[in-house]
Amino acid sequence: MITDPAQQVRKRDITFAGRTRTEIWQEIPSKENPYLAGQCRCHGYDILELAGKRSFAEVLFLLFQGELPTPEQARMLEFLLIAMINPGPRHPATRAAMNAAVSKTHTQHLLPIGLSVLGGAHLGGAEVLASMRFLGANLERLPAEVARECLAAPRPDDGGDFHPAPGFGSRFGGIDPMPRQMADVLATLPGNGDAVAWGTAFVEALAPHGLGWLGPGIAAACLHDLGFSPWAGAGLFQLICAPGILAHGLELADKPITSMPFLDEEHYVIAAEARK
Amino acid sequence: MSSLPKQGNDTSFWDQRRGRILTRKGGWIIGEAVYNHGYSMLDDFVGEVSFFQVLALNTVGRMVERSFADWLEALFICLSWPDSRIWCNQIGSLAGTLRASPVAAVCSGILASDAKMYGPGCMTTACDFIVGALRDNNAGLSPEGIVDCHPNRRNGGIPVIAGYARPVATGDERIAAMARTAAKLGLEDGKHLSLAYEIEKIMQAKWDESMNLAGYGAAFFADQGFAAQEVYRLLSCWVNSGVHACYAEAADQPPESFFPLHCEDIDYQGKPPRPVPA
Repeated sequence: MITDPAQQVRKRDITFAGRTRTEIWQEIPSKENPYLAGQCRCHGYDILELAGKRSFAEVLFLLFQGELPTPEQARMLEFLLIAMINPGPRHPATRAAMNAAVSKTHTQHLLPIGLSVLGGAHLGGAEVLASMRFLGANLERLPAEVARECLAAPRPDDGGDFHPAPGFGSRFGGIDPMPRQMADVLATLPGNGDAVAWGTAFVEALAPHGLGWLGPGIAAACLHDLGFSPWAGAGLFQLICAPGILAHGLELADKPITSMPFLDEEHYVIAAEARK
Repeated sequence: MSSLPKQGNDTSFWDQRRGRILTRKGGWIIGEAVYNHGYSMLDDFVGEVSFFQVLALNTVGRMVERSFADWLEALFICLSWPDSRIWCNQIGSLAGTLRASPVAAVCSGILASDAKMYGPGCMTTACDFIVGALRDNNAGLSPEGIVDCHPNRRNGGIPVIAGYARPVATGDERIAAMARTAAKLGLEDGKHLSLAYEIEKIMQAKWDESMNLAGYGAAFFADQGFAAQEVYRLLSCWVNSGVHACYAEAADQPPESFFPLHCEDIDYQGKPPRPVPA
């Protein structure tokens, strides 16, 4: 029992929605059962009609933005969906799914495990979100001027990589060539917009310092130019990378536990102070 | 910190780590022992110390007193509500009704609690606030001044301070329970917590808002010498017990029987029906 008046708890005088609202999806109940949908519409379009007439990339765009993309936007999104479909077997997010798989984790968990790891602030969804905000905040400014400011900030002296701005920096001490090549292709696509062009100019100023595009920066610029909000950036990046993470996990799911390294004592180095 | 660029493609930092793992935490030497921060885990911990002492050691690298570990355990109990209306708990119920595994359910519920509004996700801002407030207070700013100067405001000018106010209700009954527990364990209030209570008085008098459990916890942790990131890590599984309860109840009932919705229970406010353009 609470006796101290200062600790009394009172329900707030606030009103919660009686029903959850959505502008995305409409389910028309079947005549026989109000719990079952007889028809589903995505932003007004019948989902089965969409399935027959439109590509996955187009319907993905529609789902998040409320309208179907132009052919140029669809092409650009399709490029991103394919170019980033797989972070690769050395990426920590993919390795998380692979580690789980080889230790016989139930396969339905492999994707959530990998995607949780891919949510991080370094090369993950949180960096895409931050990068979209960075691009949105700086597109009206000169890229070289912004680069000067970013480079003037002290860099961590921990021996690792440096991201002077989210989505841009070094990887393993160098400029990652794959995002740079993706940017080169994106620049030739008709759907290419301000952010890809701005980012390309930004990395020109970073390059002498051993810094360039990172994968999350490419995703951020592309998603920004396609009109997605930063809020969508983190999750869309996870969605785009999901197939590769799952595929690598499943590749190991039926393999023996010996199929991946388990370091011996010589290579698992416990500091003296951690031993008794 | 340095502003000097590294030589391009200097991979020496990574080369030192390639193919091996370096740890200051510990590990299993097969046939010898499991070492944990300078202890033998099976000899020194099992049956000797509490789980929350080991949790704190693994998380922040320091062995804490049993009394503090018991306080921490009590703090976990404070977020063990078996109420499936609570957002993270309802995820446990939804997982149960779809027959997800208990591990997936609890992980999902815990992940949901990594939120700005409640749970471990709000602790770093609560810790940063009270640490900054004590710094300002030591520099001469009164508790009233701390509240008045706070930059974040919502309707009517109410200061939005991490650790004060909570969703759905005003007041927080858990603080009295925790304060009672701390006293029973012989743990005294420190400067951060004393200031937190002073700020609460201002918030109550001016805005009818009280300190919440996050505010109490942040101040208590700060008095015990924990940094914000350490608190975030220590509390990452804070809600797990309540999610378990809600999962179990839903998983023990027929599938899809938890809180079912008619199609019309969703308020569609989007575009009217339209044909897909050619």
